[in-house]
Amino acid sequence: MIKAENVHKSFGKLEVLKGIDMEVHPGEVVVLVGVSGSGKSTFLRCLNFLELTNEGVITIDGKRVNQKKDDLAKVRAEVGMVFQHFNLFPHKTVLENVMEAPIMVKKVAKSTAKTTALEILGKVGLSDKADVYPNKLSGGQKQRVAIARALAMEPKALLFDEPTSALDPELVGEVLQVMKDLADEGMTMVVVTHEMKFAKEVADRVIMLNEGIIIEDADPDTFFNHSTNERTRQFLEMVNV
Amino acid sequence: MPVPELFVTFYEVFMQTYKGFLEAGLLTIEITAIAVVIGTILGIIFALMKISHSKILQTIANLYITLIRGTPLIVQIMFLYFGITSIIVLENFWAGAIALGVHNGAYIAEIFRGSIQGIDRGQREASLALGMNRSQTMRRIVFPQALRRAIPPLGNQFIITLKDSSLVYVIGVSELFGVANRVAASNFKQFETFLVVGLYYLILVLIFTALLKWYENKLDVDK
Repeated sequence: MIKAENVHKSFGKLEVLKGIDMEVHPGEVVVLVGVSGSGKSTFLRCLNFLELTNEGVITIDGKRVNQKKDDLAKVRAEVGMVFQHFNLFPHKTVLENVMEAPIMVKKVAKSTAKTTALEILGKVGLSDKADVYPNKLSGGQKQRVAIARALAMEPKALLFDEPTSALDPELVGEVLQVMKDLADEGMTMVVVTHEMKFAKEVADRVIMLNEGIIIEDADPDTFFNHSTNERTRQFLEMVNV
Repeated sequence: MPVPELFVTFYEVFMQTYKGFLEAGLLTIEITAIAVVIGTILGIIFALMKISHSKILQTIANLYITLIRGTPLIVQIMFLYFGITSIIVLENFWAGAIALGVHNGAYIAEIFRGSIQGIDRGQREASLALGMNRSQTMRRIVFPQALRRAIPPLGNQFIITLKDSSLVYVIGVSELFGVANRVAASNFKQFETFLVVGLYYLILVLIFTALLKWYENKLDVDK
């Protein structure tokens, strides 16, 4: 579904990604972990071309993406993204947030978009908030709207960039539950998170990044219980698992 | 007793002049309105040029803004008046309104540029991540939010425009200040006359401020 080969990314002189190879298969949930500055968020943003790579190839659904020539908007429409700070559109209601892209990008009729949006909002448990503006929502509700907004485009895969890091502890659970439901339905997901419990329970694979390279790529059981990698063990000790 | 005397002469001047001032006030409002429209249009155009990726457009916009901000309005009015009227026939009224509009365009461009660039980067990214293209992202996500944010400083700028419109008296437009000048020169009651005209400006500004407050509140409903 998503394939990255030899991805390099630098910001000025700082080389953040130093050659990353990774493949995500359809229906797979991959969790990216690593200390801050390891490049995991940057890598995730490269998968959606919010950052353009300096070197390397990214293939989405079997199609090799040319960053310079291809219409990146079209590529992005197929891969949803959920951000740490939600980034809901504050001048639009919850419903309008969810309807916006299907109408503008997919040219879906307004009435159809509305029906679909309400259905998806029901799925994330926010039917009653459809006509509310985002600033009236809690962090957990905002993030669930953000997920609904991404889902409305019927993406082939979803990227999550630390979706629960900006939330109060008591609101984390409701967002993780929605993500877990998506995983159970077979959504392809790449998740950058510090929620090790989520990684243990939901991930098919856990990938550890360190200083811009992948140092471990394993199933959760191996990763959390039988890792032979010194760095991974240090990291797990640090996050207290 | 000087104070009651002042009130008496003030009242006299007020009663003698209000008809003329009402007409002049209307002219002030018209000039301001035209200048605001021209200024807003120019402001949008030059703000877009400044945030564009074209070096040439950026340079043109910077040149315009630097020239306007770097010279006094009164010089710009004279320059435009004599510059334009040497090429085409133009009423003083229009020359003044256009000069005031061109002047304001530079400041309004900076207001728009600031409010556009002040929109959180995450808004653009969220829009792009949904598959919207650059122009859809600007039109649907960035500009509506930027406009909302621009309204308070824009209102402020419009008040400045209203007051600055007094300067077009130098090219002989009979707006409030021009009329006040003429009245004062004929009745020799300069103090009272300028007090009266000051009051008119104050009233106009207060009315406009109230309208602006009302509009801002209306926009803020539910948000």
